[in-house]
Amino acid sequence: MTGLGSLLRQRIRRDRVQVLSWLLAIGALVFFAATALEDNFGGQAQREVLLRLATANPAIVVLRGPPQGADFDALFIFSIFAFLGLLAGLVNTFLAVRHFRAEEETGRAELVAATPIPRLLPLTATLLWGLIVNLLLALMVSGCCVAAGLDVAGSILTGVALGAIGISFLAVGLLASELMLTSRAANGIAAGTVVLAYLARGVGDALGAVSDDGLFVTSAWPSWLSPIGWGLASHPFTANDATPLVLNVGLATVLVASACLLHVRRDSGASVFGAGRGRATARATLSGSLGLAWRLQWPSVIGWALGAALLGAFGGALGTIAGSDGATNPIAEQLRALSGDGESLSQAFLSVIFTAVGILAAGCAVQAVIRARQEEAVTTAELVLAAPVRRVRWLADYLAVGIAAVLIVLIVAAVAASLSAAAVDAEEGAARDAFASALAQLPAALLYLSLVALVFVLWPRFTAPVGWGVLVAGAFLGLFGKLVGLPEWAENLSPFSHTPVALGTEVDWSGGFVMIALALVAGVGASVLLERRDIASM
Amino acid sequence: MFGFMSTVIQARNLQKHFGRVHALDGLDLDVQPGEIHGFLGPNGAGKSTTIRILLGLARPTGGEATVFGQNSRTDAVSIHCRLAYVPGDVSLWPNLTGGEAIDLLSRLRGIRSRDEYDRRKRHLLDVFELDPSKKGRTYSKGNRQKVALVAAFAVPAELYLLDEPTSGLDPLMEAVFRRELSERVADGGTVLLSSHILSEVEQLCSRVSIIRAGRRVEEGSLAELRRLTRTEVSFSAANLTEADLAGIPAARDVRIDSGRVAFTVDSATLLEALPVLAALRVEGLTITPPSLEELFLRHYGLDRNDAQPPTAAVAAEPAHARHARSGR
Ligand SMILES: Nc1ncnc2c1ncn2[C@@H]1O[C@H](COP(=O)(O)OP(=O)(O)O)[C@@H](O)[C@H]1O
Ligand SMILES: [Mg+2]
Repeated sequence: MTGLGSLLRQRIRRDRVQVLSWLLAIGALVFFAATALEDNFGGQAQREVLLRLATANPAIVVLRGPPQGADFDALFIFSIFAFLGLLAGLVNTFLAVRHFRAEEETGRAELVAATPIPRLLPLTATLLWGLIVNLLLALMVSGCCVAAGLDVAGSILTGVALGAIGISFLAVGLLASELMLTSRAANGIAAGTVVLAYLARGVGDALGAVSDDGLFVTSAWPSWLSPIGWGLASHPFTANDATPLVLNVGLATVLVASACLLHVRRDSGASVFGAGRGRATARATLSGSLGLAWRLQWPSVIGWALGAALLGAFGGALGTIAGSDGATNPIAEQLRALSGDGESLSQAFLSVIFTAVGILAAGCAVQAVIRARQEEAVTTAELVLAAPVRRVRWLADYLAVGIAAVLIVLIVAAVAASLSAAAVDAEEGAARDAFASALAQLPAALLYLSLVALVFVLWPRFTAPVGWGVLVAGAFLGLFGKLVGLPEWAENLSPFSHTPVALGTEVDWSGGFVMIALALVAGVGASVLLERRDIASM
Repeated sequence: MFGFMSTVIQARNLQKHFGRVHALDGLDLDVQPGEIHGFLGPNGAGKSTTIRILLGLARPTGGEATVFGQNSRTDAVSIHCRLAYVPGDVSLWPNLTGGEAIDLLSRLRGIRSRDEYDRRKRHLLDVFELDPSKKGRTYSKGNRQKVALVAAFAVPAELYLLDEPTSGLDPLMEAVFRRELSERVADGGTVLLSSHILSEVEQLCSRVSIIRAGRRVEEGSLAELRRLTRTEVSFSAANLTEADLAGIPAARDVRIDSGRVAFTVDSATLLEALPVLAALRVEGLTITPPSLEELFLRHYGLDRNDAQPPTAAVAAEPAHARHARSGR
C-alpha cells in the first residue's frame, strides 16, 4: 500500500499545477458561460428564436448538441456541454498517456518496475489519480453551476456526467498507451478518439428528429456510439436521468480490464502496435534539410489541415442562416461584437470562423519553429549542421515548411468553405468571400512564424512556452479583448487585432502589409543572430 | 588542396565558458594528416566541447581553432564538406528508419558515386550487423551509434571527428569498428578520436593528447608517452637486507609485500638498476613493462598535480603507480 501511496503522490506532485489550471479554467468557463447566457438570452422569446435557428441548421447542432427546449438551463446544456465533454476527454487522455506510455518511452517506468512492486501498481496509481481528477472535475462543474444560480439537482448531474465522460476517456488513454509504442502515437490515437466521439454525437444529433416547434431534437443512433453522446443523453436539468452514464462506466471498466490484461502479458517498453519498421532506404525527397523538415512535420500539418477543413465547411454551411432570418436576429449582434467585419450576416459568420482558421494557421506556424527547437534539443540538428548545411539555410527550411503549412491550412479552409457554401446553396460570392477571408489571415500567421523564430534564436529554451503562450494570449486579446472591455492598447498587442478587414464595405488591408514587413524584419534578424549563437541542447 | 600537408586540426588557447563553468581553459590541440589522434580525458574534461567548437557548432569564448587551415566558425560549411562526425550520444529521428537516416546524412555530405556508396553502405550494414529498416526510436544506444558510424564511413572523408564512438558497442563490434577505421585511414583519412578508455586509444592511435579540466596535460606518440611511465620490478625478499635495497639506484616506492620486494623505476633508468640486482643475485625477478594506464590514471586522479608541469609530475609521484598497476 505504501508503494501505491508514493506512486500516487508522485503523480499528484507532477500534475498539481497543470490539473489545477485545467479545473479552474473549466470551472471559469462554466460559470461565465452561464452568466453570459443569462445576460444575452434572458428572455424566453430570444431563446426560442435562437433554438429554431439552430435546429434549422445542422452545422450548429453538430457543434453544440441536441436542444432540449427553450428553458434557460436547457439552453446552457445545449450551448456548452458537448464542448466541456470534449475538454474533459482531452484532459483525461493526456493525463493517462503522460503517466503511462510517456513513462515507458523514456525508460523511467523501467526504474519503477525494477523495484519490488506488483506489475500493475503504476497503472493502478495512474487510474486512481485519474479517478480523483474526474471527481474533482465533477465537483468543480457542479459547484460552478450552482454558483451561477442553476438548479441544484441538474447541476450535480452535469458535473457527474462530465466526470463519467472523463472516466471513459481516461480508460481510452490507458488502452491507447498499451497499444502504441510512443506517447506521440498514443496521444494521437486517444485524442483522435475523443474528437471522433465528439463528431459521432454531432452527426447523430444533426440527423436527429426535430420536434414540430423546432425546440427539441431527439438524437439519432450515431450519438449512442459516443461517450459524450451518453453524457448528453442524461439531459441534465430536463430529463435529469443518470441511467445512460452506466454506459460510460461500463465502457471504462471494459477498457481498463483490457489494458490490465495486455499490461501483464507484455514486456516493459513494448506495445501491441508499432513494431517500428519501415523502408530500408530513403526516398529521393529525403535528401536535404528541407526534405527532412517536411518529413518531420507533414503528419501534424495534415492534422491542422483537417481542423481547418472542418471549420471552413462549418463556416460555409452557416451561410444558409442568413437566408433563414434577417440581420435582426440575436446571433448577428454577438458576431458583430466579435469581429466587426462583414456586411451581411453570412459574411459576419464567415469572418468569425476565419478568425479561428487564422488562429489554427498561426498555431501551425508556431509549431514549425518549435520543431526546429526540438531538433536542436534532442541533438539531431547537430547531425545535419555537421554536414555542409548552412545554419541560415537550416532555419529557413523549417520556416519554409511553416509557410507551406500556413498556406495549406488557409487554402483548405477556403476550399472547404466554398464547397459547403455551394452545397447548401448559400448566397452568391461565398467562395470569393472565403478566399478573401483566408488571405486576410496570412499576415498574422507569418508574423507569428518569424517572431517565434526570433525567440528560438535568442532564448532557445523558451521557444515552446513562449510560442504557445503568445499564441493563446494573442488569440484571447484579439478575439475577446473588445468583449471583456480591455483597453485598446492591450487589444492592439495582438497580431490578430490587425488582421486585414477583407469583407464588407470598409475593406482595409493596411494592417496586413505592416505585419508582413515586421515578419520580414524579425525573420532576417533571426537568421543573422542564429549565426552568432551556439547550437546546444540546453 | 590547401592545407593538405600542414596540420589538419590546430587549436590554440581555446577557452569555453558556460557561465561559471570553464569547460575549456586554454586548450591546445594539434592533429597531423594521416594520424589517428587519441583525444583522451576523463568525463567532463571538455572533449565534446572541443569537438563541437571544431565543428563550428559552439563558439569559443577565447582562442581559435582551425581545421584544414580554415576558421572553424566562419568557414564551417567548406570544412564540413571534407569531414564526417559521430557524436558522443547519438540521437536519431524517431520516425525515420536507420536506413533513411544513413541515406539522409550521406546525401547531406554529398554522395559522389552512387554505386560506390551503395556498395560501401551494404558492406558496413553487413559488418556492423545493423538492420536498416527499424525506426530510430526502437534502436538501442549501441545501434544508434552504429547508424552514425555507418553514415560517417559510407561517404569517404578527409577527417573523421569521432566522439567516444565505441561507448555503446560490444567488444565484437569494437573490433569491427577498429578494422573499418583503419581502412579509412589507409584511404588517406585523418582521425580525431575522443575516448575516456585508454586501452581503446592504445590499440588504435598513433598520437595522443591527454586533456584534463579543459587543458592539454600530455601530448605525444605512444612510444614517447611510454617513456614517461615507470617500470615495475619485483623479486623474492629472501636473504636481502634493508641496506641491500637502499643501494638500488633510481628505485622508488620500495616496499615488501608477502615475501616479495617491489619497486618502480623510470623506464629510462631501468638499465642502471639491473647490474645492482645482478650483484644481489635476486631470485624470481619479474619486470613489468610500462603501461600508459599509469600515466593516464595519474592525470585522472590528481588535482594537486595541476600546478606542476606534467613531465615533472611523473617522476615526483610514484605512489600512484602502484594504484595504477593493480587496476591493470
Ligand atoms: N551547454 C553546456 N552548458 C553548461 N555546461 C556545459 C555545457 N556543455 C558542457 N558543459 C560542461 O563543460 C564541461 C565539459 O564537458 P564535455 O565537453 O561534454 O566533456 P567530455 O566530453 O570530455 O566528457 C563539463 O563540466 C560540462 O558539464
Ligand atoms: Mg563527451
